[in-house]
Amino acid sequence: MISELRGWASSAYNWMDERASVRSLLRKGLYEAVPVRGAWFYTLGSATLVLILLQLVTGIFLTLLYVPSVTEAWQSLNYVRQHDAFGSIVRGIHLWSAYVLLFVIGLHMVRTFFSGSYKRPRELNWVTGVGLFVLVLAMAITGAFLPWDQAAYWTAVVVTNIASYTPIIGSFLRALWRGGDTMGPVTLVRTFGIHVWLLPAILFPLIGAHLALLRKHGEFGSYVNYRGAYRAREGVETPPAPTQRRIEPPYPAVPTDELWAAPLETEDFYPYQTFKDGLVSVVLVAVVFLLAVTIGAPLEEAANPATTSYTPVPEWFYLPLDELLVLVPQQLIPLVLVLPAGGVALLLLLPFIDRDAERNPFERPAVMIPGAFAVLFVVILTLLGSGRLFNL
Amino acid sequence: MIHLLPFLDVALPSQAPQGGNLIAARAAIGVGFSIHILLAGLVSGSGELGPAIEFLGYMRQRRRYDRLAHGIARFMTYYFSVSATVAILVMTVLLVGFWGHFWSVMVRIAWWPLVIEALAFIMQVSLAYLWYYTWDPLRNFKALHMAMGGLLAIASFIQVYMIDIVASYMLTPTPPSNPIRLALNPTSYPLTVHRTVGNLAYVGFAVAGFCAIKFLRARTVEDRAFYDWAGSFGLLWGVGMTLFQPIVGYSYAKEIQLHTYASWYKMMRGSLSTVFVWQITLLGLMFLVAAFYFTRRLRTDGAPGHSLLRLMTGGLVLATLLAALPHHLAWTLDDVAAAGLDRPFWQGGLINPLGAMIPWKVLALMAYTLLAIAAVTWYVRGLSGVRWGNAGRGEQRLLIVSTILTVAMIVTMGFIRENGRAPDLIAGQMQIQQQQDVSPQPTPAR
Amino acid sequence: MAVPDRRLSRRRFAILGTQVVAGAVTITLAVPIVGFLISPLFRRERVVEREVGNVADVTGPDPQKFIVTFPQNAWPVPDVPVAVYVVRVGQGYKVLSNVCSHMQCPVRWQPDLGQFLCPCHGGLYDRTGLNIGGPPPKPLPEFVHRIDGNGVLFIQNRFTEQI
Repeated sequence: MISELRGWASSAYNWMDERASVRSLLRKGLYEAVPVRGAWFYTLGSATLVLILLQLVTGIFLTLLYVPSVTEAWQSLNYVRQHDAFGSIVRGIHLWSAYVLLFVIGLHMVRTFFSGSYKRPRELNWVTGVGLFVLVLAMAITGAFLPWDQAAYWTAVVVTNIASYTPIIGSFLRALWRGGDTMGPVTLVRTFGIHVWLLPAILFPLIGAHLALLRKHGEFGSYVNYRGAYRAREGVETPPAPTQRRIEPPYPAVPTDELWAAPLETEDFYPYQTFKDGLVSVVLVAVVFLLAVTIGAPLEEAANPATTSYTPVPEWFYLPLDELLVLVPQQLIPLVLVLPAGGVALLLLLPFIDRDAERNPFERPAVMIPGAFAVLFVVILTLLGSGRLFNL
Repeated sequence: MIHLLPFLDVALPSQAPQGGNLIAARAAIGVGFSIHILLAGLVSGSGELGPAIEFLGYMRQRRRYDRLAHGIARFMTYYFSVSATVAILVMTVLLVGFWGHFWSVMVRIAWWPLVIEALAFIMQVSLAYLWYYTWDPLRNFKALHMAMGGLLAIASFIQVYMIDIVASYMLTPTPPSNPIRLALNPTSYPLTVHRTVGNLAYVGFAVAGFCAIKFLRARTVEDRAFYDWAGSFGLLWGVGMTLFQPIVGYSYAKEIQLHTYASWYKMMRGSLSTVFVWQITLLGLMFLVAAFYFTRRLRTDGAPGHSLLRLMTGGLVLATLLAALPHHLAWTLDDVAAAGLDRPFWQGGLINPLGAMIPWKVLALMAYTLLAIAAVTWYVRGLSGVRWGNAGRGEQRLLIVSTILTVAMIVTMGFIRENGRAPDLIAGQMQIQQQQDVSPQPTPAR
Repeated sequence: MAVPDRRLSRRRFAILGTQVVAGAVTITLAVPIVGFLISPLFRRERVVEREVGNVADVTGPDPQKFIVTFPQNAWPVPDVPVAVYVVRVGQGYKVLSNVCSHMQCPVRWQPDLGQFLCPCHGGLYDRTGLNIGGPPPKPLPEFVHRIDGNGVLFIQNRFTEQI
């Protein structure tokens, strides 16, 4: 009986393989080489992907309960909050998955930065990654407008107003987004379209490109996996380099760089890396579920432009910028635009500024020190502004 | 012997001297707390920086990091005991004796933070001594030893955060019925960030100054190389952490402005404004001393990059000049208004528009931060051409000066802080004067 | 011997044709889409006037708040309320909006401070709406208004200066 089933399964598999090349696809997908040490750090990328997919799925189902109209947006969500426990959980997952995603994508970016994974030949991978980071941030900000409660409304007012400080085209940009000078129905419907269609239409192909590039060049991983980490240095007790195992694809069979082109030892993606990826993703998704069920997605009172008692409070990921807005005097307000824009520009240009092949973070202080300070500044600004989260 | 009996009837106070001498009480607490802060800041900073240096040494496989961390651990055991003694003296004798009413109210309000702080302190004490004494025994189990160090760092941070809740509550109180709201009062976050960054910087500068002295007295080549490197490393940490302080301090001052305007006014425009200009001058001097050291150290070995560092030093000189300019050429802004001389000094008035906070001093603060990051990066980049052990005496003097400047800044900051809040002890709730009543008033109902 | 080929070869024709068609499709799509995206910039906002109240109700020196509703500049939706602060200045009145000149957060009058406070970033304005503290770069915007013979105040849904 079992052997008959096995025979049937095997011939079905061959049938599919003749028509869709299933065998080679699976082999290429599952049995690719991944560097051995440091593998837990590489799970951040797949965790980001899992959380984005979770957003996609919950987002699709949210469009079945949400109406993007200034009168009905809040009403539809309030209805769900009061009468639909499962719908409220879906809302909660969408919100908390967004928060955890922003945290994880930040960690992923910091990890790839410090490990020097943006260097040749992976520059395009980094560039698409920065694009993804900006898009995910844009998704988070545009999504925050949609409930059209007090929090959403005032976030929308402030964010669209920041755009107006762009020199020359500032008020043009703000009017483009708001649909005029003032907030209104056009703002909400445009933001809904941007959030649900326009940005995902750019985001998902870019994810595809990012993954395709990763597969083409292979995971770089950490410098400890390469011969470059065993170079003799003064004052350091350097152990001798282990012998190079057979270089598996996708790493180049003829390495262009003896020190950093191919890891000394690799293992199969499936099952070693998939296990680690799966574990980290499951833990994160469980955390998201827990938060969605216990705290859930809040909904404040409906938007009221005439309020004189509401204190707008920024989303946590927006706190560094908001703290800058508090601290920067009026003559220097354009700085609040210049700093993030300059930061993104520097990030995009990073692989072209830092072209040296060295991957050990301790041996490239000219990039690591400003980078470390930038990360610390963002953390410190977030901490300084966090008092406002508690309505103080 | 019986003729000694009349001396026993001398009228000595049988209780702590609560009533009467306000100046003595404030002086006692001021001196006590200054000593305590100078030691406790060192303790907390060492508990955080030491494990970090050990971890860095493990990652870089370099023995000198381990030696430095071990040295910090050893000294931590020395000054920990002194600091704890001073703390107990201050807390139980001075605070209860001179400020009993305030202290009993404060302990009742901040009960949970103080309990958590005591537990964190116990953790800190045990871990600090364990961490030092198990250094050699656990040298083959570095991961375990570093985990212990990590716990020590966490305990140090929690301890600082808890006491900052008490300190920030005194300035910006929130309804004390909810301990979470108490912990999240408007100035607790900025103060904790400010103090944590400051403690780390303080240890860096202390290491720098101490290693400078040890370098000058070193006998062996190995010791000279080590102390030269350690002094430079300490200074790097000191400057690296201090360059966050302009933005952290500005944010802290902003929260004070929003929540206790009178204290802010006193500090920025009133009777303490001159002291604050002095504090910023000290900060600028500290950056300058560090920049001079970087330039000189690289030049001593002919390492690349010292010419660009000279430029950065020039930039820092300009920034310091801008930051240290006083705004009102009188003791307070009210004096200027009262004299009717509310116009620029070139028009016969007492106002210096170039000393205005916005935008000139803000620009100077930004310049400090950016130039310091650039200087640190350029110096570390040039370190590949430096031979440790080769430093001249001038560099070591600069390191010692940086330590002295740090100590001066800490004491000045404490002075500004406590006098800024005066005459209140707990803003809006208790005045300093109330401490001096022999029969203290009952606590107002909350 | 190769003849210089000045005539259009089949290959070149196909290449040119592809490019022209691609260009045509792009332009055909782009013109309406871009036009639609920037159309709000060219729509004139309908100016309406609303009654606020009587200036005699503004008794003390402090600004007095009124709520007025205006229609939105789009398809028929309910009117939105806006807050209006009316303050006595000398012999006349100032009709201020509570839109902060920094990031357009809702400003409120703080009687204990004697100033307008913006809760977002701590901006401060005095009772006449002049920016005196914090990051706001300009005073509070003023509504275009008129006061008729009986002291009734009317405002329009636009400001005296572009905000």
